[in-house]
Amino acid sequence: MARRDIRSLSREKTIVLALLIQLFVAGFSSFLVVGLTSLYDPSSVAAGEVEMAVTGDAREELEAAAAEQDGTSVTAFESEAAAQRAFNQRQVDAILRGEYVPSTRGPGEQIQVTAVVPEGSIRSTLIVVEVRRVLSALERQERLERTPYLEQPPVPLPDTVSASQYFGFTYTILIPLLLFLPPFISGSVAVDTVTEEIERGTMELLRVAPVSLLDIIDGKALGMVLLAPAQAMLWLALLSTNGIAVSNPAAILLFITAVTVVVVTLGVVLGITLQNRRPAQLLFSVLTLVLFGGAVLLPEHPATTVAKLAVDSPTLLTYGHVGGAVLLAVTGYTVARVYIGRVAAEAL
Amino acid sequence: MQLDTLLRVAKWEVTKNAGGVDKRTILVMALSLVAMGAVAAIAVSGGTGAGMDDGIYRIGVDESSPYYGVAADDSTFDIREPDPAAVERRQQELLYRGTQLRSVPRTAKERAALTELRDSTAQYNDRTLARDDNQTAAFPVSVTLVYEQQSGSSQLDPRSGDGSGGSDSSDGSGSSTGGSGDGSDTSGTGGSAASGGGDSGTAGGSGANLGAIGARLTGDVQGGTPSDISPPFPFESLVLAFLYIVPMNFVIQAYGSSMLSERLNRRGELLLVTPASRGDIIGGKTLPYLAGAVGVAALITAALRFGNIAPAGSYVAVLAVVPLVVLFLSATFCGAMFARSFKELTFVTVTITVTLTSYAFVPAIFTDVTPIALISPLTLVVLDLTGQSVGLSSFVFSTVPPLLTGLVLFGLGAGLYREEDMFTQRPIPLKVLDALAGGINSRRSALKMSIVLLPLVIVAELAAIAFLFVLDSVSLNVFGTNQSLGIVLVLGVIVIIEELAKSLHVYAGYEHARYERTLRSALGIGALSGLGFFIGEKGLLIARLSDLESLPIGEAALQGATLPAGLPLWVAGLLFMLPLALHTVTAAISSVGASRGRRAYVAALTVAIVIHFAYNFTVVSTLV
Repeated sequence: MARRDIRSLSREKTIVLALLIQLFVAGFSSFLVVGLTSLYDPSSVAAGEVEMAVTGDAREELEAAAAEQDGTSVTAFESEAAAQRAFNQRQVDAILRGEYVPSTRGPGEQIQVTAVVPEGSIRSTLIVVEVRRVLSALERQERLERTPYLEQPPVPLPDTVSASQYFGFTYTILIPLLLFLPPFISGSVAVDTVTEEIERGTMELLRVAPVSLLDIIDGKALGMVLLAPAQAMLWLALLSTNGIAVSNPAAILLFITAVTVVVVTLGVVLGITLQNRRPAQLLFSVLTLVLFGGAVLLPEHPATTVAKLAVDSPTLLTYGHVGGAVLLAVTGYTVARVYIGRVAAEAL
Repeated sequence: MQLDTLLRVAKWEVTKNAGGVDKRTILVMALSLVAMGAVAAIAVSGGTGAGMDDGIYRIGVDESSPYYGVAADDSTFDIREPDPAAVERRQQELLYRGTQLRSVPRTAKERAALTELRDSTAQYNDRTLARDDNQTAAFPVSVTLVYEQQSGSSQLDPRSGDGSGGSDSSDGSGSSTGGSGDGSDTSGTGGSAASGGGDSGTAGGSGANLGAIGARLTGDVQGGTPSDISPPFPFESLVLAFLYIVPMNFVIQAYGSSMLSERLNRRGELLLVTPASRGDIIGGKTLPYLAGAVGVAALITAALRFGNIAPAGSYVAVLAVVPLVVLFLSATFCGAMFARSFKELTFVTVTITVTLTSYAFVPAIFTDVTPIALISPLTLVVLDLTGQSVGLSSFVFSTVPPLLTGLVLFGLGAGLYREEDMFTQRPIPLKVLDALAGGINSRRSALKMSIVLLPLVIVAELAAIAFLFVLDSVSLNVFGTNQSLGIVLVLGVIVIIEELAKSLHVYAGYEHARYERTLRSALGIGALSGLGFFIGEKGLLIARLSDLESLPIGEAALQGATLPAGLPLWVAGLLFMLPLALHTVTAAISSVGASRGRRAYVAALTVAIVIHFAYNFTVVSTLV
């Protein structure tokens, strides 16, 4: 029965379509990786130097702070008007005007910096980021000089190393997203196959065949369950060809399979109970969302479980979640079988 | 189309089909939603909600080290006993003794961990120092950020350098697209220090009180410290986008099911034999969902407004959502007409969701950055919610193309809403051709179809620009001088879209034997199709309503629709006529191919695409 369902699926080319969609999602996600992260932290894209004009009586301090930064070069201007002219002629990208003023926060003096950045330019995001870097460096310098006045000295910053900005994003968002999509689609299709047989009245035909209803349901569910880990495996292979190493693939696949079983069981039960595609699908989407959101209450969210396995930082808790998911899948499906066996015979 | 018939069908749809979702389902759903709300509330308030990145880096550090506190405060780190052997076994990413890093970060993960620790340390310092008694020493630098227009010539605007002011003077709509704060005059270039308060176009919109998510650096910035600066990345637009898009997915799921169930077991025949016209039936069945989706959008806006999250939200936001709703529904309608089973419909729905969400979503990311954002109506929503004014031309530019596309899709789907197609199992590609052929009566239909399909072309092209725009800026940065990659890609995509739009309906016409299969007729039909496209293409002038042209990639995409200023009249005339010649020739080529069957069509289409691309590429590289 499972073979029949899978075969009919592949014949309908819908699998091809599904894979295409996934490829599209992959393209979309990698676009998100590059696009969003570079927007979120434009400094990750080496975009040439940002030229800044510094004026005011704290300009030496500003120059010293900017000297630490790679992406920035500064020019000191004696007069504000000259700096403004350079800004208007686009010779500099930003003006930093530093003045010593009496502090608004207590005794002593502080540096009041007015940063002028261009508005509505594509580069303005990048420029603001660079301005922030320079000013943060200035703040660190000044704090260091004033350490004697502080109760507790600031913790020194670790050195900078060149690291991928996308590392955390890839493992905590992208990989869980890619791996949880197949179970969801499988569950949704499970709802479809069950309700469609009922709505079209073809369930009758199937029942004439020498198989029990439970066999039919088993077959349909198995087909859907096998699909998701296969897709997940495809993803892992694709990712590793892209140079993203995913650790513990076996544990991840086991976890995804267990999640798929849970989701597909939910779909099948909803399909059998409601017998109508629309309410069943609607309820399925809502319930899956609730389940996924409700998983926040677990000590570790399933997405984090996948992330920790993939990045190779699993703890005992992580393996506990994998075990728990398998347990839930097995018990869930057993209970569902009992339920279906009881309900289906008279209702369908 | 009669209004009362339409309304009656709508009423049936509501009473009969909403009744299909029985009380038990509604109860379960309500309970689930309540549960969801409760979970969200717990996660937000209790802070028990585990972060997505909990414990992915393991750091070996003991309590004597100052980094212990840093790592303990950041759930990304999992604290272990310092153990050099564990580092060797790759079970600890970082190892600290006191303030000394004792491990050498080699792998990507170790480097990422160190970078994360650096960021965490900076935040940790800010937090601890905020409790220090001597606040002047703790925060010795205060920042005022001022956004100001640079008045000189732009590096990014390729035309303003050579003095051709003509193209810039089309209208003043450009000024409304920048992130120009809440109406304060930002164009004053005097830029005295005193103007800091009013001028600071706040990063990410000032109207929305989205707490710490948005920019904290609002009008009064005297106390701002360097870490308070947030770059103009409109994070809230992402959140808001999801708020408006998510309910639509539920609506289209119900709508798709309802439409497809008409086609199961010939149920729809009952409606088809009634005196109600096709338009009445489709309109009536769609109306409740349209009203529902718009109603939800209105509710969300009202909730945001009166919940004081976005007090500036107004009817503009709701109006801007309407084209999106129409687009979602129309795409689903077409999908339901094409799909043969629920399984297929599910895949189609997922495709629609992903495609349209990215269409609505991706451009909106750039809300504060560029006119690209206006391609998506969602940007108008974000602008409106953040209290920025939306110009009429921006509104038209961003809503009309999706609205028209939605209507065209409804039209195509309606071509299939008849007995022959509804109750038969035909493969999807044939159905697409059926839908196209539905509008063809005579040779002149080629002209008509080219014009009718144009909104689809415009939306597809705008979306292509929005997607590849990022690629453009990235390649511009990554490859240094090689900035044309994005432009070349955009040209390629646009050429393919245009040639398909010009020839697919011609092919459909031949397949359905609506045209004679002679060379003369093929040439004539091709020419007509090209002419229709040329007439419609002038519709691309709508792009002038925005500032799209000011970007090189927009310029490249729109060439042919707009003319460079400052050329002699005969050159301008030639440039005007050249695209006509091009469209006619390429359409005729593919039309001849189409008349000879499928393989010839594909081959001819490829030739047409190559010619078109060569032409476009030459024009772009010589004129721009």
